[in-house]
Amino acid sequence: MKRSILLLLALFQFMLFSCPARGDVSVSIRVDREKATIADSIGMVVSITGAGESDSPPVFKDMEDFHITQGGTSSRFEVINGQVNSRIDYSFLLQPKKTGTFEIGPVEIRVDGKAYRSNKTTLTVVKRSQPNGMDQGPVFLTAGLSSTEVYEEEQLIYTLKLHHQTMVSNISLDLPEAEYLTFRQLGKPVEYRSFYNGQSYNVIEIRYVLIPPKKGIYIIEPSKMEMIVTQSESRSRRGLFDDPFFSFSTGRPRTLASEPLELRVLPLPDTGKPSDFSGLVGSFNITSKLEPDRLKVGESATMTIVVNGRGNTNRIPDLKWPEPEHIKVYADEPVLEIREDAEGLSGSKTMKWALVSEKEGRYKIHPLSLSFFDTEKLQYQKIKTPFLSINVLPGKTKQIQASSGHSNGQNIKGPAKKSVKELGHDILPIHTSIQGLGKGPLISPGGIVFWFIFIGPFFIYAIAFLGLKIGKRSDTFNTTLKAKKAARKCIRRCRQDETSSIDLTLYFRNYLNERFGLSLGSMTSIEAAEILKSRGVSHNTAQEIQNILKGLEDAIYTGKGHNVCPLGEDISQLVRQVEKEIQ
Amino acid sequence: MKSFICLSMHIFFIICFPGPGIIAFQASESEELFFSSNQAYSQGRFQEAIDGYEQLLRSGHKYGTLYYNLGNAYFRLDQLGRAILNYERARLLMPGDADLNFNLNHARDKTHDAVSESPNLVGMTFFWLNDLSLGNLLRIFAFLNLLFWTVLLLRLFFKFELTYYASIVSLILWIIAGTSFGLKFYQLNTDNRAVILEHKVNILAGPDISDTVLFNLHAGTIVHHERSEDGWSLISLPDKKRGWVRAGAMESVVIQD
Repeated sequence: MKRSILLLLALFQFMLFSCPARGDVSVSIRVDREKATIADSIGMVVSITGAGESDSPPVFKDMEDFHITQGGTSSRFEVINGQVNSRIDYSFLLQPKKTGTFEIGPVEIRVDGKAYRSNKTTLTVVKRSQPNGMDQGPVFLTAGLSSTEVYEEEQLIYTLKLHHQTMVSNISLDLPEAEYLTFRQLGKPVEYRSFYNGQSYNVIEIRYVLIPPKKGIYIIEPSKMEMIVTQSESRSRRGLFDDPFFSFSTGRPRTLASEPLELRVLPLPDTGKPSDFSGLVGSFNITSKLEPDRLKVGESATMTIVVNGRGNTNRIPDLKWPEPEHIKVYADEPVLEIREDAEGLSGSKTMKWALVSEKEGRYKIHPLSLSFFDTEKLQYQKIKTPFLSINVLPGKTKQIQASSGHSNGQNIKGPAKKSVKELGHDILPIHTSIQGLGKGPLISPGGIVFWFIFIGPFFIYAIAFLGLKIGKRSDTFNTTLKAKKAARKCIRRCRQDETSSIDLTLYFRNYLNERFGLSLGSMTSIEAAEILKSRGVSHNTAQEIQNILKGLEDAIYTGKGHNVCPLGEDISQLVRQVEKEIQ
Repeated sequence: MKSFICLSMHIFFIICFPGPGIIAFQASESEELFFSSNQAYSQGRFQEAIDGYEQLLRSGHKYGTLYYNLGNAYFRLDQLGRAILNYERARLLMPGDADLNFNLNHARDKTHDAVSESPNLVGMTFFWLNDLSLGNLLRIFAFLNLLFWTVLLLRLFFKFELTYYASIVSLILWIIAGTSFGLKFYQLNTDNRAVILEHKVNILAGPDISDTVLFNLHAGTIVHHERSEDGWSLISLPDKKRGWVRAGAMESVVIQD
């Protein structure tokens, strides 16, 4: 076992490091077919043998007539009888841009700095031929016209159909360019299933409307469609990878082209061409409506004409209204509506007029006509509105203006407004009035009036403010004066000789009344102390006063009220203390 | 008291908003000159009208109407620079005048140089400044000043809810009006705009005739005059172009008394 492993390792080492002689390097190219159509993509393989790897990818020369897409790289390594061979294959897809016979190659590569060239091969590209009944393959593109012979301005449908049995993606379409022809797509592409030559296909259909404006023969070149076609590939040999789970899908770019088409456009016949023919081609009808058909003088009615049909609706002319006598006509802006469907273009043009009667009576509304070339009957047709009449009754003499932007004659607005057009440019005249030329306002920044106006109100306010403040302060001052006066009075009285207890009690009570603005007729010692405490006198002082007054009360109530009392000086001291504490 | 307040208000309004009776021309000579200049203008004698209007301006009648009429007369004489100069001066005094704005725009359309001022933040915030003259703002501020202090005065005596809110509102208005007036006053005092008067002038790199010509300006173009040296003025444009121009080739919009 150990020997086998060593042998394998030696073989592996030999395979890795054994270099073939560089003199054996060769390059070759091959294509998968020699003849192809312009819609095909051709596979090409560039093979390099005898070299481990190239310095750079292969370089193609003179291949401007093809789109080249790289497909991938594969390498092969063989040991036969001790001879080591290696090969690298580069795969490419070629998409021809035009028909012809082309020389493919040589391809140049560089190995170890040395250039090697490949052989050449030939490829013939032909137009795609699609004979009916032949197998078109899994993917093909067809184009068709709804009619190959039409008249000028007659619309026709150009239909492109992509038939595919395999999955396609990244589709891009390149429509042909033809002078005077414009392709207008009708709706979105539709997808459905269809049978072609007995085979089922998925079909993607795109429709375009064409309106050739001039007579002649038009060649509509092929439309080209580029896409990625995904084809399922299964291994040829059955085995483990034959299981559907292991099947592989490959995406391959393809360009498909439809067949060229010829369109013959005939001129419109001159015979029978009406003088009012505006180039309208198709199938059209006209309707008219007058509402109301009975109205009073000054009121308005609305005339509505609708031209409806299928064809080149953008050529529907604006109908002219011959203004009847005694009726004013105000035209509204016509409204053109174009619709698209699978059959082409259709649409309508709605024209409205407001008719304002100026005089009573019965007025005939002359018919309006319109000519077009009928593509079904292949002749000119004239369609006209029926005769209508309007009955105007006597009414208000006041004239009103009307517009046709309404249907019931109410909400009358003026005629269609236009922006005022300037006809000239000039300045406006001078001012001749002396108003504003006087001395002007007395207020000017920095002037006396300026300061009066701006500072005056402030000063007035300030004076008022200060006055109020002073007024408030003067009340307090009076109170203080009053208090001092009361204290002095009390002290002076208490210091008099031979003052009795009754007198002292009276003096003190008067002091409290005057000092605090009270009107007490009688007062106990407790009440006096409470009053003093409530006015900010300390507890001790109040208590002392209470004690003295209690003593005076005792003297009074024991019949000694008229005796001389020696407490006058104490009361004076306490009054001073009270004043001091209150302040 | 009530009659006193009424009388005060009456006097105030007469001072602030003088009527036609008060603003009549004081001097009949000036009045005659004004009318004769107008007549000369209407008869196509524009130079004579210009002389008359300028004489009135020199005599101290600096009014928007006179500058406007003068601008018209210069316009008629194809002196676009002087026309725009006088229109701009008139606009300082009567910015809301529709005729003036029309004529000024018309004259600006005829200028050669595409020079335009970019709007600034103050101008966009106080957008009314461009449409109100300093005098108008002053009158508005005077009225609101009186209102504000009156409301405050009332509030001294009547401390009601009504007077409280009235004082708040009047304070806000007072601040707005005062700020507007201040900004306008500042704008006028820092207005360094000047108008190119000559048909075509060279703007040089320095205050010397031999300096390099940087660019040309044409009559009616408004520039910013930065400073003057020896008969030359340094000007700048809103797009940062700068250069020197002969002092006589342009004139400041704001007249320096």
